[in-house]
Amino acid sequence: MADVVHPLGIGQQIGLIARLRWRIFRNAIRQRGAKLELLGLILSSLFGAFFALGIAFGLGAGTYAMVSSRHYGFLALLFWAVFVCWQVLPIFFAGFSTQFDFRNLLRFPLSPSAFYTISLAYGLADPMAVSAVAWLAAIAIGASLARAELLPAMLLACGLFAIMNALLERLIGSWLARLLARRRTREILIAIFILLMVSLQFSGMLLERWGRTLAPELARIRPILQALPPAFAGQAIASAANGSYAGYALGLAGVTAYGLLFGVLLWQRLRAQYRGEDLSETSTPATQRKERAVVSPETTAFLPPTISAVVMKEIRYLRRNSILLVNLAIPLVLVLVFSSRGMHFHSSGGRGGMPLSRDWLFPAAMGYVLLLMMGPAYNCFGYDGRGIQTLFAAPIRFRDVLLGKNFVLSLALFVEAVLTAALLTLRSGLPRLPVLAGTGAALVFATLGQLVIANWSSLQFPRKLEFGSMRNQRASGMGVLLALGVQIVLLAACTGIFLLGGWLGNPWIPSGIFAVLAVAAGSGYVASLDPLSALAEKNRERLLEKLWR
Amino acid sequence: MDGLAIVTEGLSRHFGELVAVDRIDLRVEAGQFFGFLGPNGAGKSTTIKMLTGLLAPTSGRMQLLGMDLDLHPLAVKRQIGVVPEGMGLFDRLTGAEYLHFVGQMYGLDAATTAQRAAELLDFMQLADRPKSLIADYSHGMQKKLALAAAVIHTPKILFLDEPFEGVDALAAGALKALLARMTERGVTIFLTSHVLEIVERLCSHVAIIHKGRLVAQGSLEELRAGVPAAEGAKLTLEEIFVSIVGEEGAVRPSLEELSWLM
Repeated sequence: MADVVHPLGIGQQIGLIARLRWRIFRNAIRQRGAKLELLGLILSSLFGAFFALGIAFGLGAGTYAMVSSRHYGFLALLFWAVFVCWQVLPIFFAGFSTQFDFRNLLRFPLSPSAFYTISLAYGLADPMAVSAVAWLAAIAIGASLARAELLPAMLLACGLFAIMNALLERLIGSWLARLLARRRTREILIAIFILLMVSLQFSGMLLERWGRTLAPELARIRPILQALPPAFAGQAIASAANGSYAGYALGLAGVTAYGLLFGVLLWQRLRAQYRGEDLSETSTPATQRKERAVVSPETTAFLPPTISAVVMKEIRYLRRNSILLVNLAIPLVLVLVFSSRGMHFHSSGGRGGMPLSRDWLFPAAMGYVLLLMMGPAYNCFGYDGRGIQTLFAAPIRFRDVLLGKNFVLSLALFVEAVLTAALLTLRSGLPRLPVLAGTGAALVFATLGQLVIANWSSLQFPRKLEFGSMRNQRASGMGVLLALGVQIVLLAACTGIFLLGGWLGNPWIPSGIFAVLAVAAGSGYVASLDPLSALAEKNRERLLEKLWR
Repeated sequence: MDGLAIVTEGLSRHFGELVAVDRIDLRVEAGQFFGFLGPNGAGKSTTIKMLTGLLAPTSGRMQLLGMDLDLHPLAVKRQIGVVPEGMGLFDRLTGAEYLHFVGQMYGLDAATTAQRAAELLDFMQLADRPKSLIADYSHGMQKKLALAAAVIHTPKILFLDEPFEGVDALAAGALKALLARMTERGVTIFLTSHVLEIVERLCSHVAIIHKGRLVAQGSLEELRAGVPAAEGAKLTLEEIFVSIVGEEGAVRPSLEELSWLM
């Protein structure tokens, strides 16, 4: 019998893990170069907190106004807002947070119920969950300020609603982790996601054409919406405000029933993890056909062998990384969405409520594509992990590695830009030649200029990213701030140059300026390769250390 | 320096106040199967990282095949192969894709790379999982792949950090035979391992590092000669190791301290 005389309680276990995570964090910021990281983290946390508190204030004020004016029916909308944010935003933000893999705890003598409770407790400690709880508290405070006697009813309803949301968020998160773990299911999910995003862009057109016909149809789904948790929470509060205790109890019962259902489903999911679920990337060897290894010598004929090797490796990594594939698809989809309002453009100005003329829409869309596509370049070794050792051990100059990586990104950007241009041309016609030329030159300038800084950032602030997973996709805090700063400056500069052309009345002036800048950026890029190569050698220990973990 | 594959002079590496490697002078002749031994944290992996260009020394010189690593890093790297600590694999490639990548990085043409990669995968018994990503390989399979990648360009010096860790007995036997054959053909092998029986069986020469300092270097016979033993007794490498490292102040853990476990 092992000497486990006093098994730890769940509270102690949660405390132990909290202390462990705190120590990991504290040790991380003690390392060399961590001060800038900490600064980035503090700034982004302050920004996030400011944003969350702003929403909380809005929700509180809204609730106060609704309760004061006795428009109780609208309260459900606030619960809907919190519900959607709590369930949807973590999926998008999961990539930017360093999450703790709770399956690591399974080596310790944890009971399934302890594993469940710890998982739930840390679900509630997630920044999005903390924000959502603050929003619910703001709703409760707003209602209580308007009618103090509502406070107990609000607290109970908001508390149950919070627990139900925490359970559902964990359930969705654990299922996503399960589905995204396998390449095949991940590809299917990504395809569904992209189809959904593409379908969304037609919704405006469909509503415009069929809106009136659809209205009665849409009204039919109201009962379904009313049977969902936010509607039950809203109904409970409205009933309490109206003095209907039966209605209040019914609303609470609805929220509780959903909470129980999600709790049971989450139990089943975590139980499977507890039993040692297989989350490997590919199928097990038993299911594979016995095949002799065929090594196809894939190369790019026009590039030197070392750069070609890096290019092929990058393309393979890109193909296998669903998160990056989504990032590639999103700019195109969003341009589709933004340009699909069924509006017609003319060359001098917009109409039908669209503030942008075609001449502005084109560079704006390209700028947007650039903004979304360049992000990964600021931490371009993030997915290489321990493979970085191979790059340093090989007899190559590091400039070849940078060239290979930059080539693949530029190629993807070029394809994306061409597709976007084709799409915009189909929708609104070709922009005037000076705009087309100016946008092209601006794109070259902004891409090459950014690549110099992005390469430097990748070497200075490397951060390992988890491959093909929703979590641990956050680049270094300083890297993110740098990318943001550079993109804001470039956006302002490019906008200024386009405005200058308009102000001087010569549409070719921006093209000329951007052409000069593009040549300068190109020269700067070429000149930067050797110093960056030297910087890679100088920083190799930091790169190896950061990408190892 | 003729005939010397590896020479270090006063090679040191400090991490802040910690002296991981302290002024070591190594001399390894071409074609030697050289074992580099030491307790945990003695500085073995740090030395290998410095010798393969993965870590800059704080001071000292390194010459490989007569070339200064600082002055001619690319020329040296072309002649060496390495299985580093952690293996350094791109784990989202398949085994074949990784070997092809490495072959190209070392300047092999595509056809040669393809042929060697296929043969190495066959030899390492990795050929029957062509579509599996390296991330899904077992630890032993990853070791075998790292070893395949280290030899694909026929290096003149091979650095192996714990190459047999996790490798099954059958594969380990074949690998040992391969490595022995390579040394016969003039390849220098610089190997670290905690399994002293393997080192004793494979290596002709051994160096022992302890707390960053080189405490012994020479052939097995030379090391045996330096350690007192009963007349007629032939000391094993483990006995030599314990004797030398023990003399240097290393304390063997006392079982009495763990009485609660027994």
